[in-house]
Amino acid sequence: MSTAALHAEHEAHHEHKESFISKYVFSMDHKMISKQFLITGIVMGMIGMIMSLLFRLQLAWPDDQFSIIETLLGKWGVDGKLDPNFYMGLVTIHGTIMVFYVLTAGLSGTFSNLLIPLQVGARDMASPFMNMLSYWFFFMSSVVLLISVGVETGPASGGWTVYPPLSALDKAMPGSGLGMTLWLVAIVLFIVSSLLGGINYISTVLNQRTKGMSMNRLPLTIWAFFFTAVLGLLSFPVLLGAGLFLIFDRSFGTSFYLSDIYLEGVGALENIGGSPVLYQHLFWFLGHPEVYIILMPALGITSEVISCNARKPIFGYTAMIISLLGISFLSFIVWGHHMFITGMNPFLGSVFMILTLIIAVPSAVKAFNYLTTLWKGNLRFTPAMLFSIGLVSFFISGGLTGIYLGNAALDIQMHDSYFVVAHFHLVMGSAAIFGMFAGIYHWFPRMYGRMMNNTLGYFHFWITFICAYLVFFPMHFMGLAGVPRRYYQFTLVEQFDVWIDVNKLITVSAIVAGAAQLLFLYNFFVSVFRGKKAAQNPWGANTLEWSSPIDVRLHGNWPGDLPTVYRGPYEYSRPDREEDFFPQYVPDESAPEVLEPEKAKSAPAEKEVEEESSVFFAAIKRVFGLG
Amino acid sequence: MTITLNRVLRNSLSKKVLTAFSLILAPVFAMAADVVEPPQEFNPMAWDWSTLLTLALMLLVILVIARAFDIGSLTEKISGKRLVSPHKINGWVAIIFLVLGLIGVWYEMVYHGKHVLLNDAASEHGAVYDSMFMWTFGFTFVVFIITEVLLFYFMFRYSYDENRKALYYFHNNKLEVIWTVVPAIVLTFLVLRGFNTWSKITSADNEDAQEIEVFAYQFGWKARYAGADNKFGDNSFTFISGSNPLGLAVEGSIDELSQSLTDEIAALEALIASADDSAAVWSARLKDFEAQGRQRAYPEAYKKIREMAMDAESGAYVRSLEKEIKRKSTNIKRIAKFRADQNMFNKSAYDDKVVTEIVLVKNQPYVFKFRARDVIHSAYMPEFRAQMNCVPGMSTQFAFTPIKSTDEARAEKGNPEYDYYLYCNKICGAAHYNMKIKITVVDNQAQYETWLAQQAPVVAPVEAPAVEADPASDTTSQATPAVAFN
Repeated sequence: MSTAALHAEHEAHHEHKESFISKYVFSMDHKMISKQFLITGIVMGMIGMIMSLLFRLQLAWPDDQFSIIETLLGKWGVDGKLDPNFYMGLVTIHGTIMVFYVLTAGLSGTFSNLLIPLQVGARDMASPFMNMLSYWFFFMSSVVLLISVGVETGPASGGWTVYPPLSALDKAMPGSGLGMTLWLVAIVLFIVSSLLGGINYISTVLNQRTKGMSMNRLPLTIWAFFFTAVLGLLSFPVLLGAGLFLIFDRSFGTSFYLSDIYLEGVGALENIGGSPVLYQHLFWFLGHPEVYIILMPALGITSEVISCNARKPIFGYTAMIISLLGISFLSFIVWGHHMFITGMNPFLGSVFMILTLIIAVPSAVKAFNYLTTLWKGNLRFTPAMLFSIGLVSFFISGGLTGIYLGNAALDIQMHDSYFVVAHFHLVMGSAAIFGMFAGIYHWFPRMYGRMMNNTLGYFHFWITFICAYLVFFPMHFMGLAGVPRRYYQFTLVEQFDVWIDVNKLITVSAIVAGAAQLLFLYNFFVSVFRGKKAAQNPWGANTLEWSSPIDVRLHGNWPGDLPTVYRGPYEYSRPDREEDFFPQYVPDESAPEVLEPEKAKSAPAEKEVEEESSVFFAAIKRVFGLG
Repeated sequence: MTITLNRVLRNSLSKKVLTAFSLILAPVFAMAADVVEPPQEFNPMAWDWSTLLTLALMLLVILVIARAFDIGSLTEKISGKRLVSPHKINGWVAIIFLVLGLIGVWYEMVYHGKHVLLNDAASEHGAVYDSMFMWTFGFTFVVFIITEVLLFYFMFRYSYDENRKALYYFHNNKLEVIWTVVPAIVLTFLVLRGFNTWSKITSADNEDAQEIEVFAYQFGWKARYAGADNKFGDNSFTFISGSNPLGLAVEGSIDELSQSLTDEIAALEALIASADDSAAVWSARLKDFEAQGRQRAYPEAYKKIREMAMDAESGAYVRSLEKEIKRKSTNIKRIAKFRADQNMFNKSAYDDKVVTEIVLVKNQPYVFKFRARDVIHSAYMPEFRAQMNCVPGMSTQFAFTPIKSTDEARAEKGNPEYDYYLYCNKICGAAHYNMKIKITVVDNQAQYETWLAQQAPVVAPVEAPAVEADPASDTTSQATPAVAFN
């Protein structure tokens, strides 16, 4: 341990004594909060995955009984046979958990929290207290959602999009009773958590950057987290509104979404004048940006990991930022492509089609830039690198099928078919989870000061990668044959009989992929306690987080002064340097020839930096009437 | 010495890697083999615990291999020489994956591709649709192959070498402009074509199209044909009753509904009047139950009784009854309001035919009007490249012309049992997976008319002479005609 680190530790102790509660439970240190998000995310992810395996068993062997289903589900799995209502519940909760709890909070929460202060050179988030609240709202939300699975009438079961009237009427489906109420409560808590986190991320990135860290020197991870937070901040309130209207319709007799309904066993309802399509508009106004809220942090992580492990500057840094910006902007005006066949005006459909297909351009730029970054690189295959490359592969295969689904005409046939399932599981499910794994393997030393086992990581990657393709690739063909999604079993329709083998293949691959995650869990938890001690900068990376002492937990990140930034984050393999990396925080003592004029500029004067961020700061002050 | 060790380790390592992979993927390949050949007797019970056991065993093997690698790297450290580079191994695995993956893609296209409905559309616009699909497929498939091949080839070609330095290459504006502009051009083409296809499909010429109403409810479909007058009778959700599932404007059925609602309200009011007594009864019953100590033996019954007693005591029971009364009286009021509207009750609903099978005539254009009764459903007719949501409170439509009769499709598929179906494709409840209606496309108008003649109209026609003889005195008998639904 260096003397500086010791000194820092001493200082930290001096400033505030930490009890177990304030250190591990209600911690305000962004590094601890990121670990809390990560562990919660992993637990939720395992639950979501097990749910998917249960309903996959049903789809592959609809006529057989599995004692494991009865053991786990009790009255919903009498005689080892999954109940159709609970099948819907599992599908719904699997979707909710994966979309919101794992890939939004688990991914963004973990890495935004860990990396934003460390990579911009801040002591902590702008508001550590709000940051802590953000985690605990998320935790409460997770608990409420898990409780909802156990209620007597079953969990919410109208699909993760919970379209009313199905989700509004408990007589239409048992899951729309208490289970749905709890689902809504969980989502409202989740939105609060997400907003608290988002405001923090944005203000930290804009205001807390260290000396020399101008916006065009930010790592792409930070750019991605920043845009993600902006998207969340603008779109989650709309979901909150949609959810509140739904709560009103369910409990207080309003008719926002309900009109002209007759229910078997009840009779004609009083509600008139509402529109179920209104909900869909409100939901997808969040729902589509949500897809990018999931994907963009993963893309940011991939940019960083690929550049670092290819020992090569990321190709087209500016183009990457512009494409992120383009994707963020466009993501707000394409929600209608989820609704081509809801009876929306066909002209509106064509507008949404054009806007949707434009998104393919910035996405293509990203994919090509990743490929060019790999070209003539010196690829070091750490597990993180493999997962990043896996992400690029999924991003391409899943992204291309988006061109089919974004086309209003083609969507007529493919809407809600297995083609859609294949598409989004590849491009946002698998891709984002691979981004998360890449992040975990890459920043594990930064989080725990120890290394994970590489060999287990390799096995984890290859098995998961192969199985993910085995699971999702054949689904495209099922979808093209008109097999609808969210069906409890397919044996009642003769046309679908040919797909029973495929369903078996998919289920078996999913089980193998699930088993491979046990390798990851083993690797993760054993390495936390018994992994090899990590070096200060184990990957030879350029970014600031590797300058903060790795072997001591320090609330404040750097002992003494904050580091100064002298150049951009991707100076790998500079021909004028012996080492193949050149950290942002290392001053240029030899003052070599200027290779990239805009990149190799020396640190700007402090005044200059202040000016740039003070514009935002002043604007925020004015809006909120501060100061 | 080191050289020998080097060779041994390298060999054993690569062997171990291969063994581990084959072990892990064995069940998957076994399944793939199952797919190639018609699946043999498959015992899923065997997948119960023994699978988990097998998987656990495999994980153990992987852990052992990981140890072996650790020992390998330790040897490297001691001997100071690189024995086997994980980067090279991963590069090779990437190439193997690429080759196997491409074979897999080809296999899928050939084997499962034939089950896909492509170029097999049973409707006129289906050909337009399929050509749009093929253009999109062409472009995306080329991009898919090129980019994925490059990705895995780069993994192999540029795997880590200590003696090499990566190219310091920040950006190239020309290159970036090219791959912004080229996708933009391709997408412009696809957008224009898609726009064209979409307008063609959605603005189908409806001049001489026949209208069919498709009605969705939990969990089934009904279709309505206009009948002899070629006019659909009016409808409202307030008219729906057991004997009038579509809520058609048929006086008799509606008056009956009004009457039964009034009766139900009276019954509910009687319940409210005796609510105090019933509260006493329930609490007495609960006390009895508890006194006899039967809670343990009959937990379900106990729960029920306790709930009833609590509801009665808190007034929740009365409130729920009052709510029901309010709902029912609203319904009665609405019916009365509609009842005054003579335009609505012009008897055009009487000859409508409500059927449980859709019969279409080949080459005849149709406009489908969709309605839903309770929640959102989606009418999905994949063979016809048609889909439209059915939304309560809203009427939606889709127009198409069938061009392939059921018999032709059967001959083509070589399956005499083959039928077209309309499926529900929007999650709608527990039996969503079993919500379908058969579509039969007949070859000519005559076949259709024969079928239609066999279907009963909504209201069985009253014998003509009787009506004409004394229309004034017959209103009462007409007001309660036999309602004949399937």
